Amino acid sequence: MTADASTQVTELTADDHACLTFGEAEELFDLTAAFVRDGLAAGLKVMWLSDAGPGIAVKELTRRGIAVEPAMAAGQLAADGCEGRLLSGQAFSADAAVGWLSGQVAASREQGFRGLRIAVDMGWALRPVTGVEELPRFEEGIAAALAGTTASVLCQYDRERFDPVTLASVAGFHTRSVAAATYYADAVLRICRQYAPPGVRIAGELDYQAEEPLARALAEAVRLEGDLVVNMEGLAFIDARCTLMIADAARTMAASARMVTLRCPPEVASGFVRLGMAGVPGVRLVTADE
Amino acid sequence: MSDQGYRPAGQPGRAEAGRGAGPAGPPSLDQNFDAGSLYALRAAVAAHAAAAGLSPQRVYDVVVTAHELAANSVVHGPGHGRLRLWAGDGFLYCQVSDDGPAEPEPAVTGNAAETGNAAGAGDAAGAGMPWHAEHGHGLWVVGQVADKVSVDHGRAGTTVTASFGITPC
Repeated sequence: MTADASTQVTELTADDHACLTFGEAEELFDLTAAFVRDGLAAGLKVMWLSDAGPGIAVKELTRRGIAVEPAMAAGQLAADGCEGRLLSGQAFSADAAVGWLSGQVAASREQGFRGLRIAVDMGWALRPVTGVEELPRFEEGIAAALAGTTASVLCQYDRERFDPVTLASVAGFHTRSVAAATYYADAVLRICRQYAPPGVRIAGELDYQAEEPLARALAEAVRLEGDLVVNMEGLAFIDARCTLMIADAARTMAASARMVTLRCPPEVASGFVRLGMAGVPGVRLVTADE
Repeated sequence: MSDQGYRPAGQPGRAEAGRGAGPAGPPSLDQNFDAGSLYALRAAVAAHAAAAGLSPQRVYDVVVTAHELAANSVVHGPGHGRLRLWAGDGFLYCQVSDDGPAEPEPAVTGNAAETGNAAGAGDAAGAGMPWHAEHGHGLWVVGQVADKVSVDHGRAGTTVTASFGITPC
């Protein structure tokens, strides 16, 4: 059981208009990578509009195992800014934006794709953009534009930066809400599912007091199929007990012929080295500076 | 430094000469802790260990030691304790004491373990298979990362002192 009742990003289907909320860039990139990966695998055209810029988008998706370059060369994947698409000269018009979206749906069909997936980072709406008050009307318009199509839209809202009133006012226009499965989150620790590549992500400081959510996260990760990553790049401290739990889980999975990658800063890695994890077949210990 | 056998107030004189290297002055850090303050304790220890001139990996080792010793007092001892940190004679000392009864606990094993200690320290967690030991695994890690560890079970409680050589960077 996970801490929230949201839909998983991997469960989205055609004509979904989903609202994704994220708490940090790492989470946004992870969930977007999963959305892009599954869309490409299904033969859909995939677009990601964000403030990150094409360079960062390509880098972050590539880092998460997406074959970005060939997909872009084939015209199946595009990563662009919002200007010239949703925005025109830093001005927003709900009608123009919905018109652009409908045009993309039609174009992807003409290009022979089975459908279209668009992820839109809504961070632009936090800037002084004229017409931003039309945001709820845009969200409403998307629903109409998607009806009867094989297109889906994933609107991405930073829950730390958007005020609850705005989030509440747009939430109702979405068919689903999406967030990372979170096992534990407070000011010093976050344990959540990682989607691309699949696994668990742990950031902050981890000790025996979070043993229970860690056990749940690992148990759920064990049930996932295929290779697994325990991403501890953002982990500043781990105690002996939790090091042991993760090492045990990694040994168990490696014993059933699954590759397990433990990705962590050098100090955290030293704890795993102490337990002999550097020499366990099927376990890869990768320090963050490698 | 002539003050051998540093021991906390109220502690009977059980510390053996030579392993109780004490602070030349007051400890640079003297902090009480319980289950709710381990995070703050680690942050304070990290700051002081870095200020003492240790490398990032050694700072982390001191933090691990402080945490494991403190967690041991919290989980297996009275639930609270006191941590002191001081530098002297080219070493950084990390000492955790609590006033709990000396519950039989696994020995600190590993390259830094000092033996010959009082009763209670002999219940080894199995030095050959340390990583399957639940209770005692934290102390095993302390024994691995510290240069020297001494454990003193007195009537007033348990005091563990770990030391780390300060190599000039």
